[in-house]
Amino acid sequence: MPNQNGSVYGLTILSPIIDDERATPSHDLQIRNYLAHLSTREESPFAQAPGTHLARLVVMDDVIYVGAPACEEHLKSKYLIFESNCDGDLDGYLSGLATSIPDHLDAVWKHCVGYPGAANHQAFVEYMKACQLETTFFFAAVNDKTVNQTLRALQTQSAVADFIASHQGADSATLQREFLEFVAHLKALPPPRPGSMGPHRDIKTGGRNE
Amino acid sequence: MSKLNETDVQGFVLRGYNLPVARYLFLHFEDAQRTRKLIGRLLPEVTTGQRWDGGKPDSTVNIAFTHRGLQHLDLPDVTLLSFPVEFQHGMKHRAGILGDCGVNSPDHWEKVWREDRVHAWIGVNGQTTEALEACCANIQSLIEEAGGATIVDTQDAAAVVKNGKPTTSEHFGYTDGFGNPDFIGIERSTQPGQGKLLPNGTWAPLATGELLLGYADEAGELPVAPIPHLLASNGTFMVYRKMHQNVATFRAYLDRQAELYTGGKEKLAAKFIGRWRDGTPLELSPDKPDPSIVQDPNRSTDFTYGGDGEGTRCPIGAHIRRVHPRDAFGFNGQLINRRRITRRGLPYGRFVPEGEPVSDTEERGIIFMALNASLSRQFEFVQQQWVQYGNDSHLGNDKDMLIGNHGGRGRFVVQGEASVTNPPFVCSGLPDFVELRGGDYFFLPSITALGMIVMGLVDPR
Repeated sequence: MPNQNGSVYGLTILSPIIDDERATPSHDLQIRNYLAHLSTREESPFAQAPGTHLARLVVMDDVIYVGAPACEEHLKSKYLIFESNCDGDLDGYLSGLATSIPDHLDAVWKHCVGYPGAANHQAFVEYMKACQLETTFFFAAVNDKTVNQTLRALQTQSAVADFIASHQGADSATLQREFLEFVAHLKALPPPRPGSMGPHRDIKTGGRNE
Repeated sequence: MSKLNETDVQGFVLRGYNLPVARYLFLHFEDAQRTRKLIGRLLPEVTTGQRWDGGKPDSTVNIAFTHRGLQHLDLPDVTLLSFPVEFQHGMKHRAGILGDCGVNSPDHWEKVWREDRVHAWIGVNGQTTEALEACCANIQSLIEEAGGATIVDTQDAAAVVKNGKPTTSEHFGYTDGFGNPDFIGIERSTQPGQGKLLPNGTWAPLATGELLLGYADEAGELPVAPIPHLLASNGTFMVYRKMHQNVATFRAYLDRQAELYTGGKEKLAAKFIGRWRDGTPLELSPDKPDPSIVQDPNRSTDFTYGGDGEGTRCPIGAHIRRVHPRDAFGFNGQLINRRRITRRGLPYGRFVPEGEPVSDTEERGIIFMALNASLSRQFEFVQQQWVQYGNDSHLGNDKDMLIGNHGGRGRFVVQGEASVTNPPFVCSGLPDFVELRGGDYFFLPSITALGMIVMGLVDPR
């Protein structure tokens, strides 16, 4: 199934952006502005809504003409591209978005042609599916675990690494006793919140000249 | 490709001089016309890449400029703006990209670097202290006669002396300076392991354009370079970083960890870097140092990591495996051929033998200088992705054990086997063993380009 890789779904949505000369700033710039100020950590809308492994929102203006011998071509419209790697069933995922982050969805998609709003869940799901393209091929770093299972695994990995580092050289009896305590403690911990496991990296990354 | 015109390239680019003492003079330009005249007077002193058939000279002189320095020489705006962005920015401005934060941030640098005072670097190397002093005195008198430029700082550096002999050791006790890449057309006694890995397992020199501007690089393209071509050609870019070494912290940390590591202290020290302290590569001799390997140029750098994917011989995060991963990322090493840098440099400060009292506050460290055609693609990439991050090696956020900016929170994993002599081990709570004290990016022009600058002939049209 081309939209599916293991239990992960690869969603691609292309929504035409409203073309209105009288709008200032233009609808595409208003989307860009909203997206530029979204958090990429715990406060991200996709961390608040369930089931997103990763998501990407891009405003596509047009095809860039790179000079001869390429031929010059143009899109009929500007588009908002929404790509998401999410858990399982598409209807459930889209309804989950409409339930958890309707304000964010409306703030972005109100600039798109024919958007019905997130308040009417069924209309929202139908609209999104009408804009959907077949993904055909995508890469999922982890394709057989849900978001919550992945978060739990990362939490366990990090906790076990800390346990090892702090127990090197311990005698067997202490090691066993403290390991059992550690396992019980770890099991009782709530899973980490989506977006909270990323490191606070104090380094800039990006384009070659930033 | 035909042979390079070695007499047009500064000698510092083509060979490590292996002279035991050095002084780096940092100049500030005040008057363009008089400074250009000064450079004209210095030009006959500049050491070129010409072969030393008659033996090594008593001393050498080389010169390089910051972008700010080139501005003060009144180069045309079109030329100044054609330099790569990272060189125009300078190293201080790139701190965020390089991970130079915390104790390494520019706020903690020496005044001369903090205040952007440096316009030029003059590197002087000597056979003896006397030869070095005589050469520096000559340069100083030329500077005084010419006016227009002042020496705002000097930095002495020297090979670590052990038992009265200069060595290639650095302050943590490791033998340094093994692997510099080979390049096409550069005459040098090449050795296996120093160029690029070929699919048949042999090594070949890298494209000249990975080191020198004006030549094809590994992608078959000319490196990004300023205009006119003649100003750039046979020149290169240099990174200068003054790296303070916290030797007391390093020794105390190693001692503390060695109490828990059953493989022994010297093996743990070797795991940090990927070589035993005498220089024997762990890949070739995982159980003990082997001087016969170190002394054999056909073996000392001839190894790969393909047979050690788990890192049980050389840890995946060991310093030399990070900064020169060879075949560790697959594809016969092709992912690293455009990330190679040529290292120059010497330690500074007094060497304190193991067992003697030592303090972190004493002035001691290494002057790291690296040459490359592209600062952003080569040095900055290595620093950002391989030193300050671990993703390419599947090590998450772990940084380079030795030179990473850890702030007390670093972790280094020694992969191992189920044995007492080579156990898995985790070093945590890594402190900063090395602290950056300043530096900048320099353009090291060809002899022709220096002449053009002196005579005001740089014409981008």
